[in-house]
Amino acid sequence: MEMAEDKVYKCLNPVGIQKTVETFPLAPRLNTLDGKTIYLSINGEPDINIPLEKKLKSDYPSVNWKVKKSYMPAPVPLSDEEMKTTDGLIQSVCW
Amino acid sequence: MLEKAGIPTVMIDLEDQRHMVTEWAQVMGVPNIRFLHAGRILQGPEEVENWIETLLEGLTEPLTDKEKESGTTEPPSQERIIFEGTLDEAQNFFQQTKHIPSPVDAPISVYSDGYPIIIPTEDRVKEMLTGTSHKPDELITYQHDVAATRGEVRKKGNVVAFQPSIWRTATVEKVATVAVMAGCKPEHLPVVLAMAQTGCPTGTTGNQGQINVISGPIAKEIGMNTGCGMLNSGNPASMTIGRAYDLMAINLGGAVPGVTRMASQGTAINRGGTCFAENADGLPPGWKGLNEEFGFKKDESIIMAMGSSGMRGQGFPPGTHRAFQKSGHGGMARGLDLKGVPGPHNWLAYLLPVIIPFGEGGRTFLMIPELAQKLQECGFKSKEEVYEWFWKATFEPVKDFRNRAGPDLTTNGWMGIEMTSGKHWKELDDEYMVPTKGDEPLANCIIVGGGEEEHCEIIDGGRGTAFNIDAWR
Repeated sequence: MEMAEDKVYKCLNPVGIQKTVETFPLAPRLNTLDGKTIYLSINGEPDINIPLEKKLKSDYPSVNWKVKKSYMPAPVPLSDEEMKTTDGLIQSVCW
Repeated sequence: MLEKAGIPTVMIDLEDQRHMVTEWAQVMGVPNIRFLHAGRILQGPEEVENWIETLLEGLTEPLTDKEKESGTTEPPSQERIIFEGTLDEAQNFFQQTKHIPSPVDAPISVYSDGYPIIIPTEDRVKEMLTGTSHKPDELITYQHDVAATRGEVRKKGNVVAFQPSIWRTATVEKVATVAVMAGCKPEHLPVVLAMAQTGCPTGTTGNQGQINVISGPIAKEIGMNTGCGMLNSGNPASMTIGRAYDLMAINLGGAVPGVTRMASQGTAINRGGTCFAENADGLPPGWKGLNEEFGFKKDESIIMAMGSSGMRGQGFPPGTHRAFQKSGHGGMARGLDLKGVPGPHNWLAYLLPVIIPFGEGGRTFLMIPELAQKLQECGFKSKEEVYEWFWKATFEPVKDFRNRAGPDLTTNGWMGIEMTSGKHWKELDDEYMVPTKGDEPLANCIIVGGGEEEHCEIIDGGRGTAFNIDAWR
């Protein structure tokens, strides 16, 4: 006779439903930054981002630096037009 | 999105948030995203010097074989039955922990909040589902339009995505499963389902949690304590429904400290969840309940979900309040220049010097019926009149507002438009008065509840969002 403590129960799954995610390769890297249009997308952290922007512009003057700036967590997105001419993007600092 | 569009990117994060970045990247379909870490301590120029070359190499170094891969990431087990065994074996299964490395470096429960749970057997979940007319396999969707948050549109019929970051969905049966684990009864399920519509956020990097406040007849129906000790333990409905919130965040939303739940210390609000109910019988005549404030009828039940990082007491002993109101004696009377003047007096005015400096945004006051009654006797015929007075009384000059830390973010670095003037922040005169407690009076909120000692909890966080409970009966 099955003892009460031996009875087997099926237990339901509390974990949320997560879909299979299709994964993509990274975009090919640039062979050079010279002459390229690179966005610096800033999210706050002025202590890092102010010197970062300054150094990028001074030490790499052959790059066409553009800046998007926000103090909030969500970055300012690139427009469809901007994406057409963007060669790369630096996101600083994610939080 | 940019990587998928063929634009190479590199991200800078804070080193302790690397697990969160990895999780997000996986969910977004770019698991091999390039990112490097910035520190929290070094001065900016020195910090930048440490990694600027590596940063730029992120855009130029050729892809590795791994970075060129495409495919799929399979989710955790989606089997309906997660475990089969005796109750003791099931208890061990559901109590299992996983070691989370730094910045946690401790075992964290996989399925529970650290406490033992009620095992969600098929029979128990079936019993729980008698608490709702909704079908078990129905996805949790919004039952009415809800105010958008962070750009997310929340229209009736949209599927609810559970936060923090993994964007999972859930069925009615999964919510019922979690409700069993929390110790809820079937009559609690409509409240838990309404609460599920919030997506159960836990805050990512801030010490924020969600407080859930019930207004309407269901509070009495399910036996919630709205009197003495309403915030303490002991009342089964309050405790188990509150607990269900946190267990939903963990199981449905994937909240894990150090991975998706980055709050430094966290908050006691999330420690077992926080749920309480308004005392509708304690409202002064003419004052609306929360349900009515949100446009529902008096006999409709809602749950208001509000973000908060904590509560604090009012800062005056109850006895001093009694002396203040009865005969105009004591510190409160002296502080408000009402010495010797019997009440009724506006006791909230005494709190302004401590409320104004402490944080920005709406505030919520959980006050006993007597304190609400005193405000009404002072002339506040409605909650709205209290909100109007409070909001205006907490304005301050721009020169002082500029010395607060929070507005650096909320004004987007002072680059935006100040709402009351319509002018750019940088154009405003130093003496121009701006609100500190929300964009409008209704950013603030009053909840009546609690027992006899003259006490008010000041809750950090303002008016939340209301969700209909009756739609889930």
